[in-house]
Amino acid sequence: MEERKIRLKVNGKDCELSVKPNELLLNVLRNKLGLTGTKYGCGTGDCGACTVLINNEPRLSCLTLAVTVDGAEITTVEGLATNGKLHPIQEAFVKHGAIQCGFCIPGIVIMAKGLLDINPNPTVEEIKEALKGHLCRCTGYINIIKAIKAAALEMSKG
Amino acid sequence: MQTKFISREQKRHDKKGERLSSQFYTVGKPAPRKDAIPKVTGQEKFTTDVVVPGMLYGRVLRSPYPHARVKRIDTSKAEAMGAVCITFEETPKIKYNERIVSIPSATFKDRTVLTGKPLHVGEPIAAVAAETEEKAEKALKLIEVEYEPLEAVFDPIVAMKPGKPNLHDHIIIEDKVVEIKNNIAAKLEIAEGDVEKGFQEADIVIEREAKLGRPYHAQLETKSAVCVPEPNGGVTIWTTTQTIHNCRILIGEIFGIPLNKVCVKKVALGGSFGSSIQMNTILPICVALALKAKKPVKLVSTREEDMYDHCRYSMIIKYKLGAKKDGRLVAGQMDVVVDIGAHNIQAYPLIGCMAGWLVDLYKIPHIKYSAKAVYTNKAPACAMQGFGNPQVNFIAQTMMNEIAEKLGLDPIEVELKNYVGLGDVFWGQGPTVRSVIRSCGVEELIKKGSEMIGWRNRGRPEEKKGDIVRGIGMARGFHTSGAGGPLPGEAVDFSGAMIKINEDGTVDVIASLQDMGGGALEAGLRIVAETLGVPLDCVELAPTDTCTSVYDVCLHATRGVYVGGGTLKKVAEQVRQKLLEYASRILGTYPQYLKIRPDEKRKQGIIYAEGISGKEITIREVAATARNKNWGTIAAVDSLRQAQCPPAYTVYFLEVEVNKRTGEVRPVRAVVGADCGTVIDPIYAVAQIHGSFYRGLSYALYEDTRYNRKTGELTNKGFLSGYNILKAPDMPNPDDVQVFFASTYEETGPFGAKGIGEAAINPVPAVVANAIYNAIGVWIRQTPITPERVLKALKEKGGE
Ligand code: FES
Ligand code: FES
Repeated sequence: MEERKIRLKVNGKDCELSVKPNELLLNVLRNKLGLTGTKYGCGTGDCGACTVLINNEPRLSCLTLAVTVDGAEITTVEGLATNGKLHPIQEAFVKHGAIQCGFCIPGIVIMAKGLLDINPNPTVEEIKEALKGHLCRCTGYINIIKAIKAAALEMSKG
Repeated sequence: MQTKFISREQKRHDKKGERLSSQFYTVGKPAPRKDAIPKVTGQEKFTTDVVVPGMLYGRVLRSPYPHARVKRIDTSKAEAMGAVCITFEETPKIKYNERIVSIPSATFKDRTVLTGKPLHVGEPIAAVAAETEEKAEKALKLIEVEYEPLEAVFDPIVAMKPGKPNLHDHIIIEDKVVEIKNNIAAKLEIAEGDVEKGFQEADIVIEREAKLGRPYHAQLETKSAVCVPEPNGGVTIWTTTQTIHNCRILIGEIFGIPLNKVCVKKVALGGSFGSSIQMNTILPICVALALKAKKPVKLVSTREEDMYDHCRYSMIIKYKLGAKKDGRLVAGQMDVVVDIGAHNIQAYPLIGCMAGWLVDLYKIPHIKYSAKAVYTNKAPACAMQGFGNPQVNFIAQTMMNEIAEKLGLDPIEVELKNYVGLGDVFWGQGPTVRSVIRSCGVEELIKKGSEMIGWRNRGRPEEKKGDIVRGIGMARGFHTSGAGGPLPGEAVDFSGAMIKINEDGTVDVIASLQDMGGGALEAGLRIVAETLGVPLDCVELAPTDTCTSVYDVCLHATRGVYVGGGTLKKVAEQVRQKLLEYASRILGTYPQYLKIRPDEKRKQGIIYAEGISGKEITIREVAATARNKNWGTIAAVDSLRQAQCPPAYTVYFLEVEVNKRTGEVRPVRAVVGADCGTVIDPIYAVAQIHGSFYRGLSYALYEDTRYNRKTGELTNKGFLSGYNILKAPDMPNPDDVQVFFASTYEETGPFGAKGIGEAAINPVPAVVANAIYNAIGVWIRQTPITPERVLKALKEKGGE
């Protein structure tokens, strides 16, 4: 298969890549860019472990062909902390005991970022709904919901 | 009734009278876990993230038939395109059991690396490795296989009938060939007292049957391995496992490699819940590929492959229970048939443990237990959180509630009359692992929990009107902490660790114990910090592998804190002794008068002589002096066998909402009381309970893997999309889940701690069923409790 050149801005950095038309964004991020924070959990859109922000919107990288996002801005979990300082969402996850095995966490943290960007003060119900597409087998979601709530509060303080 | 309360003051201190729990520096104080930062920033490396230069990607060819014989296999086309191929014809023929937690005489070996006689859809036949995943995938399609399909059996009852195909003609135990008849992989019968006499003495006898489904572990990380062949003929391995040392022993045995050349590296594990208690099937395949290719190979299971690889034991349990009018139990008889699937990973320990869970729940003078574990052509079942305990608990606790109802008694009163507690004998891992219970918070948990939920006001089912009704249920559970005991028993259970003080006063902890995510090792670090008297900041887990660490059997049986933490405490105490001895040389005092306290600001442990000013020195200064004066490293390495297996207890009160029109059940509110002795890590002890509660609800209400009886395939074909599982919107709100702890102290555990994880899932299916009864007045004893089953039960009740 012919490779094609695409340009992406990943975590603020411009990069030019050559990818096959059937290559998934998930694999491009993990294998070509070494950004292994984004995880494979199912490949069928059922677990949310592969969630990244594409132009600020949470999307499943296991269902996204890399060629279809040519020119896009991508944020992965590695891009959330700035200058070594954790993002408030990350802080809250650490503080509220929302992390156990951690395999689902990159996807959920990214989803939370997307959620709080458009809805800075979500209700518990809205958070639960947003978590619908994310499988976390360890936490029962309880501390995750608490962490997202706490992050929203923290971020509203500016 | 004799009171079982343990006085707070009496038990809140160490048996040696060291310090009161209120004086702990690190234990019991909230602090973020160390691995939280790498995990939340995406830096943590799991097996699936390991990259080795020049590595090939492996793929596995799996049987499309539930039972077949491979007549011909041809890999020449795949090889012609440059792929490395292995088939069952060339991989080692040695039979093994992938779980070696039990001693050899209790370990039943029935499988090989690859097989020419697959026993379930998805069983590995051959494998390939190539430079890219795409090429490996292509090569896989070029392998030609001719199968002779054989008759398959999916029902354990049918599988035992004469004339049905035998899945295994024989297996190996130690070095002996053992014949298998009627697909019965293991059986057990135990009796105490005279059960017939007991039933005659009973005022009420009920007999019920429960069917429990076959959930899939659904751990987020699929089973994976990376293997690098080394120039010395050995291998270096990263893999999803709960036990690096057992993987090493097995790989050494299967491939004939001396163990000092098998280096299994410990790496973060993306969940497991029992599914990596055994060496995962893909590991020896990955090793075989790497050895043949003479190159590193990475093998990551797809979700579909993973779902055909492991699940919980499904079973049918019949239970007959007799009680006196006042609710005291007199006789019980349980008969179990377990569907183990295609391989016997640990059916024998399972049915032994289940006998234990039965006698551990209630004191029943006359008891009889029999169990059969049966092979079927399904994915092999293995340990999953609770290991037979939720299943026994489900039927026993729902029947106790039913008996209480029938006798017009409060279920709580009946529980308190019969439970196994302080001073009783507890079977921690089947009949061969027993010890006496020294701490028990059951009564405290029940009393407090019932008040918190409003037990008295729950009402009776017949009083509840309307289509949508609520009910409150109660169930109690427990689990062992480890598999230790005063006698050796059939389970291997000890742990080992090394701890050393570095030249700057920081501490390296080298422990082969794995952490599935629950935080066992994080708790371990606190225990080390507390014992040494250093700030938690000073203590780190060192990267660990099998060559540089001492043996730990496996993270299972809720033994992480009790056995793993107990070991760390023992080793840290030895290090502390050495530290004090060296410090006393410098300070000119006697070591027995020295104490250590953490100084958070200086990030140091301070050794001091109490009440004598000027006699103070940092651990850094001691370590540096020890180096400069050539005294040696301040370090210790040791192993610990716990001679006890104390039960951790939980009590659940759950409120559910049942829609009588749709049959839907919604958990809305829970109060969970837990007795884990001293709480080492308050945030993660609660988080453990949250997780177990969630998985228990999902087990009770949603999860099952089902098979197409014609094709032997999973009805969801291995896709998560077709697998029912509890999602976030269906969980009760965070504020509606209250967790509290008993004020107990386990004198044999590190700083008074015992386990918690599995104790917190075991009563969940039962509490769901009991709450449903309180809402709609019917008992449902089949999991998952789907809306269809609720409607059916309601219809049957209506027809009564
Ligand atoms: S890997 Fe993309 S949703 Fe599971
Ligand atoms: S923390 Fe393990 S899956 Fe979410």
